[in-house]
Amino acid sequence: MVSRTAIPVGLKFAGEMDINNSGAIARCLMTTFPDRGNPHLDLSNLVFCDISGIRALVTCAQNLGPGRQLQIHGLPEQLETVMRVTGWADLPCLAVCECRVAPI
Amino acid sequence: MNREAEAPSFRHEALFYSGWPEFVAGTVPFIRRGLASDEAILVVVSPEKIDLLRTALDRDADRVTYANMTEVGSNPARIIPLWQEFVTANVRRASGVRGIGEPIWRDRSDDELAECQRHESLLNVVFESGPAWQLMCPYDVAQLAPQVVAEARCSHRHVLDQTGTSRSLEFRGVDACAAPFARPLPEPGSVALETSIDRLSLPAVRAQLARRATDAGLSRTETMHLVTAANEVASNSVIHGGGRGTLRMWADSHKVVCEIRGRGAIGDPLADRTRPGTDFAAARGLWLANQLCDLMQIRSFDNLTVVRLHMRLRPRARLSLVRDPGAGGAASLN
Repeated sequence: MVSRTAIPVGLKFAGEMDINNSGAIARCLMTTFPDRGNPHLDLSNLVFCDISGIRALVTCAQNLGPGRQLQIHGLPEQLETVMRVTGWADLPCLAVCECRVAPI
Repeated sequence: MNREAEAPSFRHEALFYSGWPEFVAGTVPFIRRGLASDEAILVVVSPEKIDLLRTALDRDADRVTYANMTEVGSNPARIIPLWQEFVTANVRRASGVRGIGEPIWRDRSDDELAECQRHESLLNVVFESGPAWQLMCPYDVAQLAPQVVAEARCSHRHVLDQTGTSRSLEFRGVDACAAPFARPLPEPGSVALETSIDRLSLPAVRAQLARRATDAGLSRTETMHLVTAANEVASNSVIHGGGRGTLRMWADSHKVVCEIRGRGAIGDPLADRTRPGTDFAAARGLWLANQLCDLMQIRSFDNLTVVRLHMRLRPRARLSLVRDPGAGGAASLN
């Protein structure tokens, strides 16, 4: 499930991401964010994410363009593991947000 | 024509030794030759043998890099990436590169041994057309079964023993080294889970696998690793293997095994041990499985691919399998 957050501007994910929904999520991410600023993603309720799901997130982050970042909140252990092992943990376009605002 | 001149620039040599003095006598001159020409040297052996070599090398001990094979090679599919990184990092900087790697020792399980032997064969494929470097693989012939030593003659172009160095007449050749592993795997006694998989059933199958793996004694993190890896292999099977496959899981006192069976074949023999680069579209599932699991067995035959993922049961986890004495008593009444 994906819902919008107003503060900060972004999206909140809940449930599981796999090959069943990662394509739709990738398309959703492409069209959702405004043209400026660093959008936020709250993943704290994402209980499972496969490589296709992470690829959707990373693709979105890369498409933001130079100097912009996708700010991630509540990175779950499973997702952190997969990102680290696949070499996608240290991309400059993806950051773990430390603003400590609980997205609403 | 001089065939030696055509030989690949990678020299892969088995050292047959018996006991620690012969290990030192075989490896130290090899290291010293590298040091004399200022080569970069990586030694991946057990911690005991690292200590032995450090003592033997004395003042030169710190000119060599060491890694613990019992950690790095715990899953033998993780060894090739280590060599690739060392060779890539040093081949231009140093005057040469050489290594010593001992992935096979007596206490390896049969499953691990087969994957170690696969690893030895694949080294020839990986470095066939790469830069020049030398790898020596010690085999303790006093401790290992004769068929293990015979297989080492098939996977190494050169052999060094007490009589000197020679070309191995049994070397099977690079093409045969790259051929899919078709040796069938033994059937398990009984399975805790057997289910068909397709795209839509993946979430339910993950939940079932997680429950059974935890019941079998895996920790929360180990279960997460197994489910994540199994999901990637199952997804491959769904996407590339005709939309469906079969997943089974079983356990014994040492390990939990999850098997995914599907149509099709994995074309690239190195697909599971090539570190993903920056290429976005590149497959990462098999690489991930090797990093998260203790062992992965890939077999291809009859247009089928069978992948087994192993998770070792650590001693803490094994305790939960100890039978309640009451249960044993009840069983004896039957």
